[in-house]
Amino acid sequence: MTDITQPAATPAMTDTNTTRLPGIPGLLGAQIAYQARLLLANGRTVVVGLGLPVILLITAVSHGHVSALTAASRGSFGLTLTAWNTYGIRLVAAREAGILKRWKATPLPRSAYFLARILATMLVAVAAGAVTIAVGVLLYHTPITATAALGVLIVFILGAAAWAATATALTSIIPTVEAAGAIMIAIYFPVIIISGVVGQISEPHWLHTLASYLPAQPVIHGATVALRYHAGSGPLLPAHDLIVLAAWALGGLIAAVALFRWEPHRPTQRRPSRAR
Amino acid sequence: MTAVAVDNLTKRFGDLAAVDGVSFEVPEGQVLAVLGPNGAGKTTTLEILEGFVSPTSGTVRVLDTDPCRGGRRWRSRIGLVLQSTSLDPELTVEATLALYGSLYPRAWRVEEVLEMIDLTEDAQTHVGVLSGGQRRRVDVAIGIIGRPEVLFLDEPTTGLDPEARRHMWAAVKRLTQAGTTVLLTTHYIDEADHLADRVIVLASGRIVTDTTPEQMRAQGGPSTIRCPLPAGVNATDLPDTLARHLDPDTRTLEISSDDLTGSLRDLLAWADRHHYQLTGLEVGPPSLEDAYLTAIGQPLAL
Repeated sequence: MTDITQPAATPAMTDTNTTRLPGIPGLLGAQIAYQARLLLANGRTVVVGLGLPVILLITAVSHGHVSALTAASRGSFGLTLTAWNTYGIRLVAAREAGILKRWKATPLPRSAYFLARILATMLVAVAAGAVTIAVGVLLYHTPITATAALGVLIVFILGAAAWAATATALTSIIPTVEAAGAIMIAIYFPVIIISGVVGQISEPHWLHTLASYLPAQPVIHGATVALRYHAGSGPLLPAHDLIVLAAWALGGLIAAVALFRWEPHRPTQRRPSRAR
Repeated sequence: MTAVAVDNLTKRFGDLAAVDGVSFEVPEGQVLAVLGPNGAGKTTTLEILEGFVSPTSGTVRVLDTDPCRGGRRWRSRIGLVLQSTSLDPELTVEATLALYGSLYPRAWRVEEVLEMIDLTEDAQTHVGVLSGGQRRRVDVAIGIIGRPEVLFLDEPTTGLDPEARRHMWAAVKRLTQAGTTVLLTTHYIDEADHLADRVIVLASGRIVTDTTPEQMRAQGGPSTIRCPLPAGVNATDLPDTLARHLDPDTRTLEISSDDLTGSLRDLLAWADRHHYQLTGLEVGPPSLEDAYLTAIGQPLAL
């Protein structure tokens, strides 16, 4: 049995004002690692973020080859599913279970927890997209160079930030896990379908223009352009895609900070006065 | 030193006063149980002390700080367990505790906390597969891992089986021996009796009793002798001193008096004379439950 009655253990006897709090960079790093482990330990994350896109990649193999466009779109599918659906639903679940509330009461800076959840999601989402493209490169002759890979990475990081930040903002106003599942999917599928994640859509033209300002199509287009990059082929990344994704990331983050809630929605708090 | 000071605290939700003019102080090292029926204002009071809810009026100080303005330093000196268990299910008990421990300047080592909550054998178990009682103990472990000076426990044993409750009580007791100030809410009078130095009873947002478990017990009335008459015994056989305590419907003697030993002597002498076996004889202390029900204004169930 631990001897917890020894004087050194008595709270009153320690001068708490001279004890240093742990440094914030270390705490942030540990929290990102923890959140990423939570995501990866959850089977659904892995199946949805990796399994599904890879299956869709394999079904699109033609004569043993997967094109840059197909690899980019399937990779974007894994990335967006992770950074939007998996992340958003888990965030609501954690909030409604009181997990966020508990973290709010710890000495971890609240901004560190908030950022760690988003950064860990971006890490796993980018990995999901990268693994899908790697399957294309390693098994089905999808063209790639080191420069192209760097371009894809930049697009994926921006894309993951755009989706995760926007999801953080939206989920703040969703009261239950059930509603989160329904609302996230109802927004997600129209966006990714018009953006060409599961097959290119060229008509009508206005739909294509609309999609180019939503955060899915620029990820696919940017990654495709990057994969096809070779010396003299023009810029590595289209400025339009980068600007759209950065705008979604920044706007999403501002909205997320403004709307974020730590505590569960509790209708019982506003119960009417009882007749007694 | 006063660890917690509450002065004329009121919290309204719409036109409902969840907490209505409550004042009390908790000296350092005291274990205070806040009892009361559902909706009495226990959790609201605790959440104000924890800094989650701001009061409508009145002042609150925890470790000489307004909880709503408590920063990282202050948060490192308090610990809490919310009413519902709130844990990520995916990782092991040890990984979970290690992460929470890393947030505090003078945290217990994970092995020490595992011993305190009696979960050493489940260190490598995933939180999601633990039983409800074990999960609740992990919740308490997170609450205490930073060596808090003040610990808030909101119904720590509600819904646990009797054995799990005993485990929980043991963990809290070990902690209080180290001098931690504890505020716990509970529905269970025996829990307050077991753990607390002091009991506050809330009803409809107001303090109706502020006392010790011993004094509260004394308010429950005198001790009682209960004894069902053995089969075949004629009630008219009873001596007059005992006969007037007989409930003819249940054929049970119910003696509540200040002179219990005298009554007991009479009863045993009578049984001895007639060679009766008093198999159902009970001598009980005054019930804390009765005192509690009196305090919150419920009729006694007799």
